[in-house]
Amino acid sequence: MALPVAALPGAGRRRRWAPWALLRAGGVAFVLWAVATVAFFAIRLIPGDPAEAVLGGPGSQASAAALAQARADYGLDQPLFVQYLLYLGRMLRGDLGTSYALKRPVIAVVGENLGGTLVLAVVALIVAAMIALALAAWSAQGGRAASAVSWVLEVVAAAVPHFWLAISLILLFSTTLGWLPPVSVPGPLGLVLPVLTLALPLSGFLAQVMRESILDAMGSPFVLAARARGEGPGGVFWRHALRHAAIPAIGLAGWAFGSLISGAVVVETIFARPGLGRSLLSAVQQRDVPLVLGVVLVVALGYMLVTTLTDFADRLVDPRLRAR
Amino acid sequence: MRRILPWIGVGALLFLLLAALAPGLLAPADPLAIHPAQSFRAPSVGHLFGTDESGRDIYTRIIHGAGASLLIGVSATAIGVGLALVFGLLAGLGPRWLDFGTTRFLEVLFAFPGLLLALLFIVVYGPGVVTSTIAVGLATAPGYARIIRSRVLVVRRAPYLESATVLGRGWWFLLWQHVLPNVAGSLFVLVTLGIGQSIVWASSLSYLGLGAVPPAAEWGAMLSAGRTYLASSWWMTFFPGLFILISAVATTLVGRGLQERSRRP
Amino acid sequence: MKRAVAPVISILAVALIASGCSAAPAPTSTTPVSGGTLVYASGDAEPDCLDPHVGGNYPQALVATQYLESLVSKNTAGDIIPWLATTWSESSDGLSWDFTLKKNVKFTDGTALTPDAIAANVAHVQDPATGSSTGYLALQKVTAVTAVSADVVRFTLSTPDSALLDSLSQPWLAIESATALKRSQAVNCEWPVGTGPFVVKKWTHQQSISLVRNDDYTSPPADAAHTGRAYLKAIDWRFLPDSASRYAALQAGTVDVIDNVQPDTLVAAKKSNDLVAIDAPRPGASNRIELNSSIAPFDDAKVREAFIRSADVNDAVKSLFFGTAKRSYSPLSSVEKAGFSDPSLFDYDQKAAARLLDEAGWSTKNADGYRTKGGAVLEVSFPVSTNQSIPAEQSLFEQLQATSKQAGFKVDLEPLDLSSWYGALGKNQYNLVSAPYTKVGPDVLRILFDSAGTIPAPSGYFANHSQVKDPALDALLEKAAVSSDEAERLSLYKRAQQIVLKGFYILPLYDQQNHYLHRSLVKGLRAMPTVSTPTMYDSWLSR
Repeated sequence: MALPVAALPGAGRRRRWAPWALLRAGGVAFVLWAVATVAFFAIRLIPGDPAEAVLGGPGSQASAAALAQARADYGLDQPLFVQYLLYLGRMLRGDLGTSYALKRPVIAVVGENLGGTLVLAVVALIVAAMIALALAAWSAQGGRAASAVSWVLEVVAAAVPHFWLAISLILLFSTTLGWLPPVSVPGPLGLVLPVLTLALPLSGFLAQVMRESILDAMGSPFVLAARARGEGPGGVFWRHALRHAAIPAIGLAGWAFGSLISGAVVVETIFARPGLGRSLLSAVQQRDVPLVLGVVLVVALGYMLVTTLTDFADRLVDPRLRAR
Repeated sequence: MRRILPWIGVGALLFLLLAALAPGLLAPADPLAIHPAQSFRAPSVGHLFGTDESGRDIYTRIIHGAGASLLIGVSATAIGVGLALVFGLLAGLGPRWLDFGTTRFLEVLFAFPGLLLALLFIVVYGPGVVTSTIAVGLATAPGYARIIRSRVLVVRRAPYLESATVLGRGWWFLLWQHVLPNVAGSLFVLVTLGIGQSIVWASSLSYLGLGAVPPAAEWGAMLSAGRTYLASSWWMTFFPGLFILISAVATTLVGRGLQERSRRP
Repeated sequence: MKRAVAPVISILAVALIASGCSAAPAPTSTTPVSGGTLVYASGDAEPDCLDPHVGGNYPQALVATQYLESLVSKNTAGDIIPWLATTWSESSDGLSWDFTLKKNVKFTDGTALTPDAIAANVAHVQDPATGSSTGYLALQKVTAVTAVSADVVRFTLSTPDSALLDSLSQPWLAIESATALKRSQAVNCEWPVGTGPFVVKKWTHQQSISLVRNDDYTSPPADAAHTGRAYLKAIDWRFLPDSASRYAALQAGTVDVIDNVQPDTLVAAKKSNDLVAIDAPRPGASNRIELNSSIAPFDDAKVREAFIRSADVNDAVKSLFFGTAKRSYSPLSSVEKAGFSDPSLFDYDQKAAARLLDEAGWSTKNADGYRTKGGAVLEVSFPVSTNQSIPAEQSLFEQLQATSKQAGFKVDLEPLDLSSWYGALGKNQYNLVSAPYTKVGPDVLRILFDSAGTIPAPSGYFANHSQVKDPALDALLEKAAVSSDEAERLSLYKRAQQIVLKGFYILPLYDQQNHYLHRSLVKGLRAMPTVSTPTMYDSWLSR
């Protein structure tokens, strides 16, 4: 999160971190195990022969020999419980199987595509936070008109589907004005439209949350006290209200992560940008189960890391939480 | 301004509802009838929103598609909120261990953010209208469940509920008389906000080729088909997208209006 | 709400402006310039493997044309011309062929093109472990490949094969370095080694293939415009599956060449001085709808004819393809000299369709207007592969669905991913299907209509989707395959096509569409007359 969270009092920080970290680590491990388990049983729900599913579904035209081989490789002839243990064992070794559409190890495909999506998501998050901050600051300080305008902008931004926004941006900035490439090209120029597509809807949500807490904060006793001490309105806003607004916004980070990943599926497809989202969609379209599961697991891991980080940031920003 | 906006939302929703229930009133023609000779016509008086690649009138198709698109949105929300209600009530009213278990389960579901749970569901059950609707419902359920649980916990700890418990009222009585009515308000807001979001999600799935398929007059599917002709026939993409946007904005306006009203003392 | 409308209106305005823009013509030059990188954006699927021996589909052929070469090629007149082989001769019994190889040709790994290399390639294609399908089928009659001298290689056949040269001209039977073929399949798929004008430098999966010039190149086909190395320094071969994005990228100058161009885009491009179109229909079969004659209701020839008469293909093609596709009345592509057409069998005639259905016993109609017979509805399933049918073609199927509904057919269009689509075919759960098949030469008829083609190969695939089982047809096709008399072959293939058309087993639509669009600064780009893949050997950029 690109919000000003530094420069905080550090008193009593050390003491309660250890149990917190232990608890979080346990939580992450539990969720990952559960996600892997859900994923394992989800594949078993696919109608038909699981060996066939492993090899590419009913259209794989797999030979009897190949099916037998797949059964042996994946232990499909073993009891379900044994299969499950084997599966968990492979997971622990980082073996996510082989994508049958790409005929390559899932872990390699995910590794290649992770970077692109991360760059896209992080830049979009920063841009969204900046837009949201500007909107929130304006409507918190600019009176009724500004508040109404930003309210409408928030509603529209939150309601615009990613694909529709992407198409409109391409029409405007590529086809008509010719300023930006309509497909993702290497370099920062190719990042502009995909980032805007992801950032605009997100900023609508963030701005709404931030505006409400800024308004709360501006009317709260500590702001009044600061005013009484003689701080100017700008100083009060940046030093006090903003930090107050950061807390709920940081709380949204887990959700924002999900929104960015969902958006990345659409955005990477439309802008032909390599990344996890595009891999995931083509895997879903081709029912490439191992690759879908691989991406799902990696995203789940990412989600857990983000929520852990936000929890961490929360405790940094809000000293009250540390006391608990 | 902010008093009027929700009413504009209500107006737009009523119009969409009319289109969904009696499309023949607003657009008497057959949405599936083809006229190859009149394909790719730009918007004009005869064809308000133009025609598509098979000469079908886009206005007619959008009006007739309102039913399908709204139904998908409403069903997905119903599935999501229904599941969430079960989880939320179990967690909020049940014994501690049940709350613990349900909350952990929800945490696991949260680790499949956004479209991910929907896509996983589609991989297992294959694409289509029904699966994509259920998928969207499933994907939205954890978020609703968390909100409902916290509402239920607030109600449960309220003094009047304690007194009702002391009076020896039964569990079901408490649920019907106290918990549900108190949760209903925020539930209504959630549902209103959720329908718009579900329509957007479901149309995204259709756009990605995983939901409704042509020649069905569903907005996402129309948009997806029109995308191919974006360079020459922008109206095929523009108008279905506009209606998705309108329905999402309208439900959001109404939902936010309700939210603010419930906050006012 | 007023404010919410404003951005919407501006988008509308933008869209309006977007529909009418053009650019100034680029300066022209006629002397080829060396250097530069050409950016190619492919709308075809990304190959699994860059070695077209493995599997063998069109996406592989597209890119392999840049770095692999075949023994022979074809000119635009349809005659076989020299490429890696300079001359060839057939023995009088038709059971052995001698090819003399071009001298001093080296693979890009430094090894020489020798008869043993050719033998290694045939062995590679025929090895079941390679998993070749297209190349494997084409080489079924080859029993041995041996070196006769230092530069002559002999193919020995089990029976005469009139299609051998056609087969060998295809990219799926391109010649690779024998040393390179000995590497593991995974490695060979990433970096195949051939004799072509370009070399695979790096394949960034799901994104692009980087190709660089082969500076020691000496072996262009006989119809190339120049000799020596290629003009382009490199090719950036990108995958851009979305057709609208692809065209937008071409307009914006982000890419120089695109394939799989949509009909409306072609029309729009014609108005621009900046863009040049290449129409290169694929050889082999025409695009057609196959009627499954093995199960009801299309086991009855009258019902098949009724469906064909009730399908208004011409109006649909006109509305969807804007004159970029010509209606076909033949099982074969218009590129094929042996192609035979009979338009009279395919007149759109609802009355005839109604009469035929009455005669076939489908004489009653239900409340929805569909024909019934003994309580059963005249319902036919039509699995559509969304990977293989372009959007305009899918719309065409929707229009046919609407017109045949007038006759009382209930056509169920089922858009499916490739895997599920193969699955539906394998289970014989289809009444209608449209499956492209690209092969050089009329021998494709044997693959598509011989009764042997109804029995699934060990791989599970069968190509005779109309499930024609006609001994007379089989005999004609087999006779044509072993005949070396050109006139006799043509007459045999004509009779075979008459049987197929008159049996109403297929509804021909048009040639397999294959349009390229490039910026006018790209010069010298052409499609190979073999399977219509583009070759960048003669291309240069006048930037």
